[in-house]
Amino acid sequence: MDFGLKGKVALVTGTASQIGMGNTICLTLAKEGCDIVSADMDIEGAIKTAEAVKNIGRRAISGKVNVTVYIEVEEMVKAGLKEFGKIDILVNTAGLNAGMGSQFLQQKQEIWEKDFAVNVYGMMNCAKAVIPGMVERQYGKIINFSSIVAKMAGSASSYAAAKAAVLAVNRGLATQYGPSNINVNAIAPGMVKTQFFFSMAADRREKVFDAMGSMAPLKRNQTTEDIANAVAFLASDISRNITGQCLQVDSGMVMQ
Amino acid sequence: MDYGLKGKIALVTGTGSQKGMGKAICLTLAREGCDIISADIDLEGAKLTATAVKALGRKAIALKVDVTNGSEVDEMAKTALKEFGKIDILVNTAGLIAGTGVPFVESTQDIWEKNFAVNLYGTMNCSKAVVSGMVERKYGKIVNFSSIAAKIGGANAYAAAKAAVSAFTRGLATEFGSSGINVNAIAPGFVKTEFFAKGSEERINRMFENEAMNSPLKRNQTTEDIANAVAFLVSDVSKNITGQCLHVDSGRVML
Repeated sequence: MDFGLKGKVALVTGTASQIGMGNTICLTLAKEGCDIVSADMDIEGAIKTAEAVKNIGRRAISGKVNVTVYIEVEEMVKAGLKEFGKIDILVNTAGLNAGMGSQFLQQKQEIWEKDFAVNVYGMMNCAKAVIPGMVERQYGKIINFSSIVAKMAGSASSYAAAKAAVLAVNRGLATQYGPSNINVNAIAPGMVKTQFFFSMAADRREKVFDAMGSMAPLKRNQTTEDIANAVAFLASDISRNITGQCLQVDSGMVMQ
Repeated sequence: MDYGLKGKIALVTGTGSQKGMGKAICLTLAREGCDIISADIDLEGAKLTATAVKALGRKAIALKVDVTNGSEVDEMAKTALKEFGKIDILVNTAGLIAGTGVPFVESTQDIWEKNFAVNLYGTMNCSKAVVSGMVERKYGKIVNFSSIAAKIGGANAYAAAKAAVSAFTRGLATEFGSSGINVNAIAPGFVKTEFFAKGSEERINRMFENEAMNSPLKRNQTTEDIANAVAFLVSDVSKNITGQCLHVDSGRVML
């Protein structure tokens, strides 16, 4: 299936981890013909990902950015526009689970603020920075990241609240910018074995991973490829009439 | 992107109309390498669709079936298995809307039964007829059709039936997930097919214009938009997506 992505320019955040979703998303989009702006707080990792993109024959630049700081985001977008002339696609992969492993009653406000800063303000800043250009060109695709925890019952979690807030922003942006031919969608991944996984306590993370797998109707967890394929679908005009949606890529954990 | 559909066998219902989603789905899947069973209560139409598939270089047979009749559906599945040896994919496109414009208090039992018979029982019958084979082979993709109507107001009996299809989709996905079977639904917004044949051209056009205006993307769907979503869901590129209702509706419904 021709995704029609040849020559499109994608800005992807959260690309530093070499085992992360961001990295695989860059490679998958590149295989479909995209040129890439690889952005992360960790510039070494972002550069590695950009190199991997260049190895498969597409152009790529990397940028150091803290998505919670709007000026840095603006600079990154400026650099992307300077290099490529346009940004067609924004993938807000950069995320954080500040409260992982901590108990609600023991959590400080700081943890809640971190989760909202990266997961909500981060995607909001990036969207704000790229949308004017997309409106001008009457074309754009924005993909945000929610999570299964946004809809599942679970322990009181700032991460879950932030990921649910992402969905409200997602719908708002889709509604407001639909008339400008900009598609805005979210993906809610289930468990994926990325750095998030490795940040769990070593003695329980495999058990948690297996338990999540057994709970899911498809009896498995996700790979970064599963996520990247969904991103590619949503970034392509083959899904041109899908907007404001949250696509669960979670082996059936959440069905609503 | 390689959808990995080459050699897969897809049974598609509702393929009679040459302007319909069913036909577009058959052609899109055929282009990805599928062989097709084209099924409809209108055999002539189903044959035309099968011929179009063959023109693309894939194998296709046409079968006459009333999806509300369990025995006919079983026969259809048997014939399909005899011809192709397996059914990898089922797309329950066959649908019907009865009672458009009829106020609720004037709606008859007949209207309600018609909507449920084709949209829900038809989907259920076809799923039942193919799922055992899929369980045996530990592989299957089923795509059902809900509608924006299931979540927004109006079109009572049709909306209720389409909401039932979504509930059924979730149940099937949950029950058969461990057998390697993905079950999802698509909720199309307005698509200009023969679904809306009744009524004046002018009235239908106005209805479509209104719908477009009420949609963030300010447009309606083509059968290609729907077929592209079907192809994505029946491919292993979406192998971890199941039990979902994918809205292809220009943003008409965001929940």
